[in-house]
Amino acid sequence: MKEETRNFTTQLAIIGSGIAGFAASIFAVNRKIATAQIGNTGAVAYTTGYLDLLGKMDGAQAAVNDPWQALEQLRKSQSNHPLSRVAVADIHRGFNEFTAFLGECGIAYSQPEKRNITALTPVGTLKQTLCVPATMAAGPRAFAAKKPCVIIDFIGLKGFSGRQVVANLQDRWPNLGTQRIAFPDMVHGEIYPEVMARALEVPATREKLAYTLKNAAGQAKVIGLPAILGMHCPDHVRAELERLTGLEIFEIPTMPPSVPGIRLRELFEQVLPKKGVTLIPQQKVTALDFDDRGATLSLFDSYGPIRIQAQTVILATGRFLSGGLEAHPDGIREHLLDLPVTQPADRTHWYHDRYTDPRGHAIHRAGIEIDDTFRPLRLDGRPYSDRLFAAGIIIAHQDWIRGRSGAGIAIATAFRAVAEAERYLLAETNPEKRV
Amino acid sequence: MDKNGSYLVTAPKQEKGTPMADTQIATINFKEEALRLLPEGASFEACLTCGLCSSGCPASGIENMDPRKFIRMAELGMDVELSTTPWVWCCTQCKRCHHVCPMNIDISQLVFLARSNWPEDKKPSGIVRSCQMILATDSTSAMGLPPADFVFVVDDVLQEVRATQPAFQHLQAPMDKQGAHFFVNQNSREPMSEPDEMVPLWKIFHLVGADWTYSSKGWAAENFCMFSGNETAWYEVIKKRVDAVNELGCQVWLNTECGHSYYTMWQGVKRFNLTANFRLESLITYYARWIREGKLPVNSKWNTKGIKFTVQDPCMIVRKAYGDAIAEDMRFVTRALVGEENFIDMQPNRSANYCCGGGGGFLQAGMTEHRRTYGKRKFDQIAATGAAYVLTPCHNCHSQMEDIGHFYGGNYGVVHFWTLICLSLGILGDNERTYLGPDLLELLD
Ligand SMILES: Cc1cc2nc3c(=O)[nH]c(=O)nc-3n(C[C@H](O)[C@H](O)[C@H](O)COP(=O)(O)OP(=O)(O)OC[C@H]3O[C@@H](n4cnc5c(N)ncnc54)[C@H](O)[C@@H]3O)c2cc1C
Ligand code: SF4
Ligand code: SF4
Ligand code: SF4
Repeated sequence: MKEETRNFTTQLAIIGSGIAGFAASIFAVNRKIATAQIGNTGAVAYTTGYLDLLGKMDGAQAAVNDPWQALEQLRKSQSNHPLSRVAVADIHRGFNEFTAFLGECGIAYSQPEKRNITALTPVGTLKQTLCVPATMAAGPRAFAAKKPCVIIDFIGLKGFSGRQVVANLQDRWPNLGTQRIAFPDMVHGEIYPEVMARALEVPATREKLAYTLKNAAGQAKVIGLPAILGMHCPDHVRAELERLTGLEIFEIPTMPPSVPGIRLRELFEQVLPKKGVTLIPQQKVTALDFDDRGATLSLFDSYGPIRIQAQTVILATGRFLSGGLEAHPDGIREHLLDLPVTQPADRTHWYHDRYTDPRGHAIHRAGIEIDDTFRPLRLDGRPYSDRLFAAGIIIAHQDWIRGRSGAGIAIATAFRAVAEAERYLLAETNPEKRV
Repeated sequence: MDKNGSYLVTAPKQEKGTPMADTQIATINFKEEALRLLPEGASFEACLTCGLCSSGCPASGIENMDPRKFIRMAELGMDVELSTTPWVWCCTQCKRCHHVCPMNIDISQLVFLARSNWPEDKKPSGIVRSCQMILATDSTSAMGLPPADFVFVVDDVLQEVRATQPAFQHLQAPMDKQGAHFFVNQNSREPMSEPDEMVPLWKIFHLVGADWTYSSKGWAAENFCMFSGNETAWYEVIKKRVDAVNELGCQVWLNTECGHSYYTMWQGVKRFNLTANFRLESLITYYARWIREGKLPVNSKWNTKGIKFTVQDPCMIVRKAYGDAIAEDMRFVTRALVGEENFIDMQPNRSANYCCGGGGGFLQAGMTEHRRTYGKRKFDQIAATGAAYVLTPCHNCHSQMEDIGHFYGGNYGVVHFWTLICLSLGILGDNERTYLGPDLLELLD
């Protein structure tokens, strides 16, 4: 029995299936670029569902209200920050395009506005974010208006406590209460949000839950639930529960493994292949080679070896968690091409003494260098290949956790990387247009 | 464990009724074994304890265990507990945990290891017995149907169809035909308990003009030896089947509508390094191809009432083997058969689909309550589609979905693809309609 290598050819290969990789696929699909995408989609499931652009400026105490203005500031103070290297108008376009795509494919999102939204975290603290799923939008509104509201939690559900949410918010939200209820037909000790969300796609479960919710709400007209309102048609599930209860309902993200992230992952995995993307979701590229004619990616899936010939490549392999960067005793390395990584001089400089040090840690700004067309650079400052572009948090000079800018960096840089890849592809097909 | 650190497991050579010694379950050093079994970078140490695996595992909570907990306990050296937990018989080795894990950690391999470590007399007797039956005859049939009986049943059914269905008076069901292109395997359930269910597939082959054959040896599809964790037995079964195909000189071993039969053969050939002078292929791929080529002129015009269908992706051929490519073929076939607007996908689906809970020998293990708990997810998935029928190319999925449907009060039916193909073509005989509900039967009259 021979194992045959399956061959694919494509205009663009995207390596990485984090937010950056998926955003790049979406932008490429919208531009009718033939695309293949490879990477483990698991980590997308960790996100809260909130799409942050910029929530915190380095050194500032207060959270960012107006992210667009803060971007201008960032441009002055940190010109090599990836967000400073994308035009503000392009970042706006990128967010619009990304959220519109999600909406068309079944998860409605708020569009980017002038200001950040003050959103609720799983523990009832507040954070600034740019776009929120429609199922969560009523929460910030109810909070702003201080409407009487009951936060519901469930027997057996870990990672979300109504009491904790209320304790953290009661000073600012006086009419907030909480109730703990049982989820219909769940027999086991620990129950997961994912299981509840799927069960709520069954009309009979919704009816049973609606009955309990009405009682738990008491006098309140608004209730907040952990994010469990369905998996692949959340807006429908929420609308149905609102209809059945006569209440206004919103979701609050839970700790991972949480539903909003799994929703995104499953949406990407289902929709992109339908749109023509060759998606190989669970695997890692083991080798990437360039020659005059293009790039060759090698990998295996459970069925056997795969080879992809691509005219252009976007590297969006993330940092340590996803394996794009690897920490070795002698320093940090980029694992696929061994691209030079900008990093602290030696290990002793990775962290400040206190983990909570307000200056942040040098290791969280490590990454690869790019030129103005988002091509990763060699040590000598020349691009590694004219066909290779980078996107996402693998790019140096940003600390997305402290900046509350995870999705922002991913979407903005993906937007630019795809634009540059498209430019290259056009030039390659019409050499006379090459500039 | 032998001196070299590998596990030697042999099938017990005991007669029915012979009492067995009360053996103990040896303790495995899971951490050590994981280092050996799991690829670098996907070891237990890489686990982020994020819980995505458990959240998406239908066996979570059963026997107070889940995949994340399994890994944590292995890390903590709780080897006795892990070596003895009956949960390993409730994990269907469906690899969904592996699919959703950001670190690519595969728990099912350790579950297989744990299973193989149980003494035969402690393992769920249903799985062990099914494996013994498979080894008992050249048929490799888990129901113990000997070659001669299989040959007889096939011929008997064939003669009856020829006599009673004029359009098929020249129908063929070749046996041991040397050099046929396709070697077709067969689940024992049909020749044993519902022989007429073999006919629709024969008709399909007849229509497309396939050059195919059954074999009197190694014909059976099912394979519980892998699930019983008995590697030697697994090898023996696959060896017999591979030899049978090689002997007939067929080019393609065409796997019938069954999930694990494909997986155990495909993995077995690789694992035991067997020489297979043929390709392993799935019937689904060919249904799709024959429809595309116009050889199977199916359409959905018969579905005048807009009856809704969903499909169940068997993990053994989708997630664990071909990936989404075959899932797409299944959907293509389904849409062609029932009409685009009458197909509703289950959520999640394709490679992310949940195992039904019939796999891994669960249906044979006698752990009915646990199996139904596992199946509740599948039931919810099906109920959410509102479909009247589930189509699936897997016998175990078929049985399990029927069972949980009855148990949880669902009112859907489960049908084979061959049934619906023949229905669409207007060639489904009277005796071939077992799985049709009144709504479908009504359309036929
Ligand atoms: C727990 C958690 C919570 C978060 N919450 C939020 C939030 O609320 N709001 C927000 O805006 N952002 C959030 N983020 C950040 C966001 O999800 C992304 O992590 C971030 O934007 C970085 O995206 P990325 O695509 O660049 O990298 P990653 O998300 O790290 O993705 C990298 C991808 O590359 C793949 N990869 C690596 N090597 C290879 C290879 N050789 N071949 C193929 N593929 C490879 C990996 O499998 C992975 O798919 C959160 C992140 C985490 C971890
Ligand atoms: S999904 Fe993977 S990383 Fe997360 S807990 Fe499970 S095994 Fe560990
Ligand atoms: S293989 Fe399937 S049943 Fe077993 S732990 Fe993983 S997800 Fe659960
Ligand atoms: S019975 Fe079906 S779903 Fe379950 S393991 Fe087998 S193939 Fe997978």
